Amino acid sequence: MDVSGKMAFGVMGMLPPTSACSGGFQRNDKRQNQTMKSDTKSEARQKSIIHLDMDAFYPAVEVRDHPELKGKPVIVGGGRERGVVSSASYEARKFGVHSAQPMATAMRLCPHGIFLPVRMSRYQEVSRQVFEIFHSFTPLVEPLSIDEAFLDVTGVERLSGPPREIALKIKEKVLDETGLTVSAGVAPSKFVAKIASDMDKPDGLTVVPPDRVREFLDPLPVDKMWGVGKVTQQVLARLGVRTFQDLTQIPVGLLERTLGKHGAAMHRLAMGIDDRVVEPGHETKSIGHEETFARDILDLEEARKEILSLAGRVARRMRREDVRGLTVSLKIKYADFTLITRAVTLTEPVDDSGEIYATACRLLEKTEVGRRPVRLIGVSLSQLSSPDKETQLRLFDDDRASLKRKGLTLALDSICDKFGEKSIQPATLVSKT
Amino acid sequence: MHICTQRERLIQALTKVGGVVEKRQTLPILGNIHIHADDDVLTFTGTDREVEIRTRLAASVIEPGEITVPARKFIDICRAVPDEAEITFKLQSQRASITAGKSRFNLSTLPAEDYPLMETSSGDQSIELEQGMLKELFDKTGFAMANQDVRYYLNGLFLKVQARGVTAVATDGHRLAMLEQLVDLPIDEPIQVIVPRKTVHELNRLLESGGERVRLDLSQRTLRAVIGDTLLTSKLVDGRYPDYERVIPLMADKVALLDRDALRQSLLRTSILSNEKFKGIRLSFAPNELTLQAHNPEQEEAEEHMEIEFTDEPLAIGFNVGYLLDVLSVIDEPRVEIRFAESNSSALMRGAGREDQTYVVMPMLL
Repeated sequence: MDVSGKMAFGVMGMLPPTSACSGGFQRNDKRQNQTMKSDTKSEARQKSIIHLDMDAFYPAVEVRDHPELKGKPVIVGGGRERGVVSSASYEARKFGVHSAQPMATAMRLCPHGIFLPVRMSRYQEVSRQVFEIFHSFTPLVEPLSIDEAFLDVTGVERLSGPPREIALKIKEKVLDETGLTVSAGVAPSKFVAKIASDMDKPDGLTVVPPDRVREFLDPLPVDKMWGVGKVTQQVLARLGVRTFQDLTQIPVGLLERTLGKHGAAMHRLAMGIDDRVVEPGHETKSIGHEETFARDILDLEEARKEILSLAGRVARRMRREDVRGLTVSLKIKYADFTLITRAVTLTEPVDDSGEIYATACRLLEKTEVGRRPVRLIGVSLSQLSSPDKETQLRLFDDDRASLKRKGLTLALDSICDKFGEKSIQPATLVSKT
Repeated sequence: MHICTQRERLIQALTKVGGVVEKRQTLPILGNIHIHADDDVLTFTGTDREVEIRTRLAASVIEPGEITVPARKFIDICRAVPDEAEITFKLQSQRASITAGKSRFNLSTLPAEDYPLMETSSGDQSIELEQGMLKELFDKTGFAMANQDVRYYLNGLFLKVQARGVTAVATDGHRLAMLEQLVDLPIDEPIQVIVPRKTVHELNRLLESGGERVRLDLSQRTLRAVIGDTLLTSKLVDGRYPDYERVIPLMADKVALLDRDALRQSLLRTSILSNEKFKGIRLSFAPNELTLQAHNPEQEEAEEHMEIEFTDEPLAIGFNVGYLLDVLSVIDEPRVEIRFAESNSSALMRGAGREDQTYVVMPMLL
């Protein structure tokens, strides 16, 4: 591939020979990239999307707040006994520590690591700062999580320069104002931008111009594809598919037969076709709580109690954010770390703990809880919407009992908000001592 | 156990019982089909513990016995072997050896005594109907059943059996479908049951549209349907069905008469630009003209006009277009009647002149 001749990826100069980036896609040279001259001429309706992903966000915030930790392996996560790693600094990752790993394993791999509890409210605070910076470049910001977002910068070139320069400016501003680094991927679609931001972490910048999308995607292994886990990877391997290019060359019908709808979607994505727009305002995609237990749960009744407590917390957060959810998911991690999820989409969105509890209990019947020890239970709601947008009238009007219940629920919420989570709760959750 | 039968007949029997077997189950044996062989008769049973289907098939039984085998795999094997093949099934040291022509399969088994067969007590009351009659009830109301609703009693079909006939009602809380079949039945006290959603679909699959008979045995907790050599047993939904008669808008006095196909086409076209999630469409009724309008969050708009019979005061009313299309798809008459009173109360739809059918749709506020 002739990179230098075409000034291919919008960045001037050759790839450093030691570059680990395959296929010659130009990554951020961290200083040189200020010197690029011209952006690839964009087509009329070509979108410019930037995916921004904070580097090891939780540990980075901790290091910034405690500078003496700089350069040390910092691991943020739950309790030492049974918790899992939420996020690990790059120093810790060298020891094989990664998120979702049991804390106990992390401690074995990295005995000298600095283990810190999750300070969610602090991270949220910093996250707000970072998102404010994102918003200063475009209103089209779609948050994916506390530390990750898509920005649509199509058409703001005149104001802020070509997309690559915008990405650089954002990186600079984030570093200036928060002391944190963020990796960016610039591409004509969400899918490609997200992959690109991951190519050169930390503090990376990878630009994929519209005419080089296929060239960029083709050599990538399929596990970079959204939704491709171990199982799908095995299925694909049996079809002889290892790279994105392999994926584009296999008949879409065959993919559809073996992997369902998802197969066809994967085929399109591998071809670089992704029309999804950046949707600002869809702040929260799901609301959930989960609990890892100090002792494995063996008893079905005990599992139900935990679900009741989780449902209460989820419902309370939903009402606080004034949303309702259409899909209820129950997540179970068995003692042997097998993770399963059971979900159901309801006819009408809910925000009531009783309804969430009843639905989650129905899902519980589709699991082996009670016959197999359980380590973690999670309850979440997705397909969220604001009640005011739901204007479908009902045949059977909410009778007085349910209105009364609504009033009661709101009163209970305000007690919890004021006096804490456990100040008032269902009688079944109050342990007898 | 050693049996021998012909592929097509075997597939026919297996597909009848295979449908109830869930793809994902918590107990491995629930993924299996129970096979019983004796006196040159094979009996196949599938279950999900809520609904069970059992069917019989004459075959040559060389050695009687009973066993369970994985449903999907067994059906897939039978389908995959050549047409007209003679299939031999033989149990050898806890494995099912299946041979057909030059193919041989060795399938895992689980003991028959662990299979959760349902008790076969007879019902309190029995009725016989033409299969086509029951099928029509299911076909024309089933679409309005709730799916996975917290109000579990809506996840099924309400059947009311009286001396003068059978009424089926389904509702998900937004729309309601009701159909009555008039037929003389030897019933003293009316019987009311809620048939679970899955049972409705499975039973409907077994029904033919003709005049063959189906016997229904009804009791407090179970329903049993006998269709030829096939027997379906199902638990019933234990709950109180909502007072549906109260929500039928008998006082709706504005009446519009519309051409069914023209309305369907207009709705389909207009819905292209309706909000993908809420699917709202505004119907503005004016003397002899209906205007359909839709728009989406991107501010794109669709508008359409059609001629109708309507003489009342103009009125605009919004609906989820999906609910209207569902109703139109089960109306046989070329003309549709829509009755309503005001923008925020329910509308009643039916095929013109069909007093036996009632479709109620609640509007949306647009």
